[in-house]
Amino acid sequence: MGSYPNPIRPENFMSFPQLFRGQSVVYNVATMAIENDLDLMLRVRDGDTVSFEILLRRYRLPMVSYFRRMVRDQGLAEDLAQEVFLRVYKSRERYQPGAKFTTWLYRIATNLALNAIRDRKDEVSGTPGDDSDGGTEFERFIDPQPTVEQRLVQGDRERLIRQAVEALPENQRAAVLLHKYQEVDYRQIARILRVSESAVKSLLFRAYETLRIRLEPMLREGRI
Amino acid sequence: MKCLETEKLIGYAYRLLDEPAASLVRAHLGDCPRCREIVEQHGRLDAVLSEWKTEEPSPEFDARVRLAVEAQKSRSNAWAFRHWQWTRGLALASLAVLIIAGVVWFARGHLGVSDSSRVAEQKPRQAMGAQAPAQVANLHSLAVPGDGSLRPVQAVHGNKSAVGFTNEDKVTQALEDYDLAANFDLLSELPKGEPRVAN
Ligand SMILES: [Zn+2]
Repeated sequence: MGSYPNPIRPENFMSFPQLFRGQSVVYNVATMAIENDLDLMLRVRDGDTVSFEILLRRYRLPMVSYFRRMVRDQGLAEDLAQEVFLRVYKSRERYQPGAKFTTWLYRIATNLALNAIRDRKDEVSGTPGDDSDGGTEFERFIDPQPTVEQRLVQGDRERLIRQAVEALPENQRAAVLLHKYQEVDYRQIARILRVSESAVKSLLFRAYETLRIRLEPMLREGRI
Repeated sequence: MKCLETEKLIGYAYRLLDEPAASLVRAHLGDCPRCREIVEQHGRLDAVLSEWKTEEPSPEFDARVRLAVEAQKSRSNAWAFRHWQWTRGLALASLAVLIIAGVVWFARGHLGVSDSSRVAEQKPRQAMGAQAPAQVANLHSLAVPGDGSLRPVQAVHGNKSAVGFTNEDKVTQALEDYDLAANFDLLSELPKGEPRVAN
């Protein structure tokens, strides 16, 4: 192992196409997987493509998942996730290792997502009946006496959860998605959303309580 | 027994409380089925929310990001190249200005001598009377060259030996260019259409 080139050294930097052809890449990526985000980002700032690749691999799924839950549209989610990585790359030279890397990453992502949601709202405002897979089914679902036909398959349950989360105000939704699905600590959420820690707790209390009430039928013992 | 605020119960359920606050809630839950039910409901909510899965990014996602980054890199390189070109142009322009300024400084020293010589020279010429109109006519013809050529330069050069240029062989092309500019200054001092020494 010791004979492998040091991936950090500039003479061993590779462009992306090289990166995915060479076998040594496997070693490079493996050895750098333990590197912390901050060190990787500092190397990206210094022009290291390999470090950027590791950050991409590390955060591609969290980013795409976050956007998929934030904006629903799968294609848009990937476009936005791509934009996050592009912005990280573009601003690499200005990167200051003050805050946690993920705080910065999620702040970019949250801003992009909220802008996209607002843009889409503007587009569809005045278009009634957009929520085609929504309201009526939810009403049917919370019927206290569901029939056998009304039992929900897994896809329906997911859709109901999604609708309940999407119905939350934007800041509550972002807080819940970050806390529940991205497993971000509430202190860090405060820094991402630029609000106080107590404000984040308040957002989470209200969001979780609203979700508990909306999804109450699903919380009963056993499945409907 | 007084029940706890819902916020405390939710905070406990989602581990948002510090340990002293959490232990108080824990103690209360042991005695209160109502509060325990709320916490348990949130525990079930947490499990239900976990049912919302997302899929892996599409197979082409990574490639798209790499392409976008490579495109960005090319744009940055193109910008850097343009920036370099611009900077180089600016540097060359600055150098040119410096050279001209140096030449102006150098030549003005000599011209100062030539001007005073010329003034000194004019007195005897005026005294000679007949020669003066010829000199003015010469200058006037320089001011409005009939064919638009650069005769003023040549004319002044022609006077060089008379006005004290002793090393004119060493005068560079740049200096000649300066002479052109200096002559325009000199000619602009003349009243238009009316030779200064006509009366
Ligand atoms: Zn109680």
